[in-house]
Amino acid sequence: MTSRTWLHDMNPSLKFIIVLVSMLTLAWFFNPWTPLLFFLGVILLQLLFSRVNWKVWSLFMIPIAFTAIGYLWTTLLFAADTSGHVIWTWGKFEVTNTQWNTALSLSFRVFAFSSMSLLFALTTDPVKFVMSLMQQLRLSPKLAYGVMVGYQFLPVVKDEFILIRHAHRLRGVGEEKHVWQRLLGMRRLLIPLLAGAVRRAERSAFAMEARGFTGERRSAYYEPISINARDWLLATIIMVLLIGSGVAGFLLH
Amino acid sequence: MVNTLSKKSQVEIVATPVIIDFKDFTFQFPEDESPVFRNISFSIQAGERVALYGPSGCGKSTLLYLMNRLYPDNCDGDLEGSITLWQRDAACFAPGEINHRVATVFQDPDTQFCMPTVEQEMAFTLENLHVTRPEMEHRITETLEMTGLTQFRKTTIQTLSGGMKQRVATACAILMQPEVLLLDEPLAHLDPLTAKHYVEWLDTLKWSYPLTIVAVEHQLDLWGTFFDRAIHVRASGDLPIELNPTKPCITFPKRVSAIQPEVALEAKNVHVHVKGKQLLKDVSFQLQRGEIAVLAGPNGSGKSSLLKTICGILKKSDGTIKSGTMLPGYVPQSPEQLFVTQRVKDEIRFSNNTKEEEITDIMTRLRLNEIEQAHPFSVSHGQKRRVAIGTMLSDKRPVLLLDEPTSGQDEAALKELFHLINARAKEGFAILIVTHDMTFAAAIADTIFLMNHGQLTGRFDNDVMWLQEKLLEKHQLVAPIGVCLHD
Repeated sequence: MTSRTWLHDMNPSLKFIIVLVSMLTLAWFFNPWTPLLFFLGVILLQLLFSRVNWKVWSLFMIPIAFTAIGYLWTTLLFAADTSGHVIWTWGKFEVTNTQWNTALSLSFRVFAFSSMSLLFALTTDPVKFVMSLMQQLRLSPKLAYGVMVGYQFLPVVKDEFILIRHAHRLRGVGEEKHVWQRLLGMRRLLIPLLAGAVRRAERSAFAMEARGFTGERRSAYYEPISINARDWLLATIIMVLLIGSGVAGFLLH
Repeated sequence: MVNTLSKKSQVEIVATPVIIDFKDFTFQFPEDESPVFRNISFSIQAGERVALYGPSGCGKSTLLYLMNRLYPDNCDGDLEGSITLWQRDAACFAPGEINHRVATVFQDPDTQFCMPTVEQEMAFTLENLHVTRPEMEHRITETLEMTGLTQFRKTTIQTLSGGMKQRVATACAILMQPEVLLLDEPLAHLDPLTAKHYVEWLDTLKWSYPLTIVAVEHQLDLWGTFFDRAIHVRASGDLPIELNPTKPCITFPKRVSAIQPEVALEAKNVHVHVKGKQLLKDVSFQLQRGEIAVLAGPNGSGKSSLLKTICGILKKSDGTIKSGTMLPGYVPQSPEQLFVTQRVKDEIRFSNNTKEEEITDIMTRLRLNEIEQAHPFSVSHGQKRRVAIGTMLSDKRPVLLLDEPTSGQDEAALKELFHLINARAKEGFAILIVTHDMTFAAAIADTIFLMNHGQLTGRFDNDVMWLQEKLLEKHQLVAPIGVCLHD
């Protein structure tokens, strides 16, 4: 099934714009059906066009599900709008159909938003995304390569963090019993970490400049990232899904 | 040798064009009170291999950054006199223009790359030079073949060893087809054997055109016969030149062993497992008071893990470690990682279990009085190490563990370190040092422990070990200069 790589191969900038557009559009719908249908559609898209690791996906979904339930619960309890007819009572506590709809809509919206973000996050290579932002959306090379250097630094900073924590442990710092004491102790870690980071940043800047990097636009790319017909097809599919769920939500409501 | 052959070099200047020329050059950083250089003059000709040498802090790297125009723009330094590059005033070059003709390899293998893979990093370089796409492909393939790195084309740079990273950095520099290759202490972060292999590799590269190589270096002994000339960097005047520089190897003073009969540290059958990985396997050894021991072995053999286990940072899974009432003290390769306060004075007092007169004594012994008000991050590297040792002494730790204190240090720093450690041994501390520098080890150690794959593979008295070439090679070590291997 070659189509299973389509979302991974899709142009990251176009994907990014589509995700933004869908989220901004969904924010205008207050019925429960539109976000629900869209959410199910996104899952279907991922099943068809991606090799998403569903275990990872589920793990990410756990906190999101909690948030969604939280939304549902608080909206039911504290909604200001108590119009509509009562559909459920429990002691003094009453739920009207308007309340119920709004609550469902909000929690499904959480699912729809996060599934869309996960679709982007789990199918996009960060390096390719930055390169594509530079090539398609004219992000300045200075900023793009700055982000790239930062990305390379992450594992190094993590190692250094462990080393400093080890050294501090020897001096009896970071072994405090209370969480707040340990949090306060973190600021001690920050100074050596930042000092190291600043030095490293300067050295990297020198190394890049010495390789002829001036921050001006490039005239040719070694790995050109383009937008091809299939990218537009995927974009259209997602747009159809968006409009479809919008219309369906309007009709079903 | 110095200066005696300057006449001969005058003759050579006629034969090959001068491409880098400093004349009556004075340079000062804005934050400094006096200039780094005053009226210095020297020149470099096309096709030469030149070393700029001198102690740390003498301004060698500054000279290099002036040649590739990173300075003065990046530091707002004041300069007088002239720098002429290819018979043109250096200030006339457009930003980035000189970097197409002068390529640089820096000392830190970890901060020279901004892309994930070797190929992408090389492409980044060529994109900077506005090379066309087909030409990029051609030049990357060609350079990888020339440098023997073809198999690493798609490799992630962060997974490579320090030595390989330096080769990749060099390959990226060569890729630019520069006229001058600048090397800024490229061996500083490599262990001696890796450094030797790097020099051999660089020496055998076949250049299709005459390339000028200028290197900043304080350890000329690692380079063998690589250089044609060495320029001694000084603060003022004409810089003295040495032709076919010989290896000035560091001679340490002789020391007398200060071993006392009492045992200071004893480890028995120590095992360490972390997350299912065995870091240490059945390690047993003991140190006496006043003993200086060196722990040597290849990267990743568990040397640092052993130090961290002895001082209690890593938890041991099995075995016993005895060191009196206090755990041993530990000084990491970057001593500043230990610091938790804002002043040197507070740093020594941090542990709070030392009497005032003992603190005064420690401050005097380690010469910390002059910097007691300074921020521990703002003092020199040697001073940072003394502060770190001071904190360990005020904790009353009976054993000192030093992790790679020799890495990237020049002759003066190494000698200072030698005296610092020697003095502590005389005071009765047992000291265990992890180092790759076997010249230093031979000079200071009473005992040498070898380590491989998480196990101690031998305990040797200092003078016996250097003759066992096979054993040294197995542990990726190089015998100190002056010890003849093939006798």
